[in-house]
Amino acid sequence: MPSTDRGVFSLIIINKAGGLIYQREFQAGLHKLSTNDYLVLAGTFHGVHAITRSITPKIPSVQPPSPATSSPSTTAPAASSYSYPNPGVPVTGLDYLETDKFRLTCFQTLTGTKFLLFTDPLTGNVDTIVQKIYELYADFVMKNPFYQIEMPVRCEAFDRHLGAWLRGRA
Amino acid sequence: MAAPPRHATMLSISNGDKPAQAQPQTQQTTLPQSPGLRVPSNRKTIYDRHLNRSRNAESSRASFAFLFGEMVTYAQRRVTGIQDLEKRLNEQGYPLGLRLLDLLFYRSTSTSSSALSSSSTSSSPPNRPLRIITLLHLIHGPLWRLLFGRAADALEHSVSPDTPNEYMITDNDPLVNTYISVPREMSMLNCAAFVAGIIEGVCDGCGFETKVSAHNQPTDLWPSRTVFLVRFGDAVMEREKVLERSGVK
Amino acid sequence: MSSNKTSRIGEEIWKTRVDKVNAELVTLTYGTIVAQLCQDYDSNYQDVNKQLEKMGYNIGMRLIEDFLAKSGVGRCANFRDTADMIAKVGLNSDTLKGARIVDISQVGFKIFLNVTPTVTNWTSDNAQFSLIFEENPLADFVELPDDGRAQDELWFSNILCGVLRGALEMVQMQIEAHFVSDVLRGDDTTEMRVSLVRYIEDEMPPEEE
Repeated sequence: MPSTDRGVFSLIIINKAGGLIYQREFQAGLHKLSTNDYLVLAGTFHGVHAITRSITPKIPSVQPPSPATSSPSTTAPAASSYSYPNPGVPVTGLDYLETDKFRLTCFQTLTGTKFLLFTDPLTGNVDTIVQKIYELYADFVMKNPFYQIEMPVRCEAFDRHLGAWLRGRA
Repeated sequence: MAAPPRHATMLSISNGDKPAQAQPQTQQTTLPQSPGLRVPSNRKTIYDRHLNRSRNAESSRASFAFLFGEMVTYAQRRVTGIQDLEKRLNEQGYPLGLRLLDLLFYRSTSTSSSALSSSSTSSSPPNRPLRIITLLHLIHGPLWRLLFGRAADALEHSVSPDTPNEYMITDNDPLVNTYISVPREMSMLNCAAFVAGIIEGVCDGCGFETKVSAHNQPTDLWPSRTVFLVRFGDAVMEREKVLERSGVK
Repeated sequence: MSSNKTSRIGEEIWKTRVDKVNAELVTLTYGTIVAQLCQDYDSNYQDVNKQLEKMGYNIGMRLIEDFLAKSGVGRCANFRDTADMIAKVGLNSDTLKGARIVDISQVGFKIFLNVTPTVTNWTSDNAQFSLIFEENPLADFVELPDDGRAQDELWFSNILCGVLRGALEMVQMQIEAHFVSDVLRGDDTTEMRVSLVRYIEDEMPPEEE
C-alpha cells in the first residue's frame, strides 16, 4: 500500500444528531484544539451541511413523457412541480472544504453519520481512504456489542486497526 | 451438577446422532420423526437432508459477529457482573460442544458416500477419546478447524506439580473476539467464555468432567490472545491413572 | 425488474468482499440463542418471537453500516439505476420504493447469509411483497420442540424480520415484516411478508429517538 497516510492529519466522526463521537490525530505533535472547540466544530459543520443541502437549487420539473404508461389516475403531479437537477443522483450537502493548507472531506453515510477527514490539499485517493475508514467503522465499532449506537466511540480495536492501516501496515 | 438441566431445556437441533441410529431400524422411506410434529409435504426435514450438506457451507463472518454480539448484549442485561456474564456465555456455548462432539465423530468415521449405512452397521463405536491427551488433541485440532477453519495455536500442560489436572489451549486471535473491544472497566472480561463453554460441552460429552475458563493473555503481536484453562475433575484424574496403568491409549 | 442485476451484484460482493466463516457455526450459535430465549421466557413463544424481532432490530441498525460499506451503495451508482428506470421507463414512484427495498433485501441476504430469497406476491400498489426462502441457514438441522405449541406459535427465524426492519429504518424506509409460513412448522415454504409503511423522501436523517 503506498503511503497515502502522509497527508492525513485527523479524523472526526459526527453522529446523526450533530454530536461529536470520535476525534483523532494521526500525526504526532499536531496542534490540538480543545475538546470544546471540537464539539463546536462538529455541531457547526453539521448545521452548515444541512444548510448546503437545503439550498440545493430546484428547477421546475419536466414531467417525463410517461404518465400514460404508469399511473392510471392523473392526480399525481401536483405535489412535485419542482425537482432537483439530475433526479437520479441524491442530494448531498457540503462534500469538500479546501484552503491553501488543508482539505476537509466530508463523507455522509446513507444512515446520516458523517466522517470528516482532514488532509493535505495534495493528498490523493481521499475517497479510498474514507471508504476504508467506513469499513473499519462497520467492523470494529458496529460489530462491537459494547458500543452503543450514537454514543462516543471508544473501541480499542478500531483505534488499533485504523492506525495500523493508515501507517500502511494492514 | 449443572449439566442435566442444561440438556433438558435445549431445543432439539439435531446433530445427526439420533437419525443416524434411528435409520437402520426404519425403512428408507419412513421418517423417524416425532409423532406430534408436522412436516412439509416436500419433506424438507432434517431427516431427509444429508448431514454433510453444510459441511463446507460458508456464511459471513459478519453474521456470526452480529449474532454473537447480540448474545453478549442480551446476556449482559440479565447479569450482575463480569463473572456472571462469563458464566452465562459459557452456558450458551456448552450445548454447542455436546452437538459438535457428535458431529465430529460422525464425520471422522464416515468419510465417503456410504456414510450413513457404514456408520450404522459398524458395531464399534467411533473413536471416542479415553485419555486426556487424545481428547485435547481432538479439541485443539478437529474441533477448532470445524469451528474456526484452523487449529488452535498451542496446547500445554501445567508445569506446576500442584495442578497436574490443568491444561492450556491457546488461541492467538479468537474469531469470536475479532470485532470486540471490551470497555476498560470490564478489562477482565473475555467473551471467548462462549468458546470455553463449547470446550466444556465437548469434554463433558466425552465423559470428562471439566471446568474451562477463558483468560486474556495479550502480547504486542496478538492483542486478543486468549488462553483456555481446562481443569479436569478429580474423578477424571483418578481414572486417567487407572487407564495409564492398564496401558489404554 | 432488475433482479438479475441485483443477484449479480450480491454474488460479486459475496465472492470478493465478504469474510467467511463456517456456516454451521452461525447455525449453531443462532440455535443456542433461540434455545436460551425459550428457557428465559418459559416457552412463552409469543414473547420469544418478540424478543427475537427486537434482537434482529438491534442487529439491523448496526448491520446496515456493514452493508453500505461493503456494497458501496450511496457511493457507487450500483443501485441508482432503479432511479434511472423511473425516468426512462416511467415506473411510478411506488414501484421504485418497493424496488429499493427488494434490492437491499436481496443483496443483503446474499452477502450476510449467502442465500437469495425469491421475491413474489406483490400487491397491486407495490407496497407489499413476499420473500420466499428456499434455503435458510439459520434453521438448518432444526426441529422445533414437540410440545404441541411450538409449531403453532414459534417463528424460529423471527430475528430476520427485525434485521430487515432495523436496517431499512436506518436508511429512511419504514417497513413491517413477519413470517407467514415456515418449513419448520410443517409448511411447504418459508415465507416472509414485507410491507412498506413509510418512505421518508429526501428529509434529513431522523434524529435519534
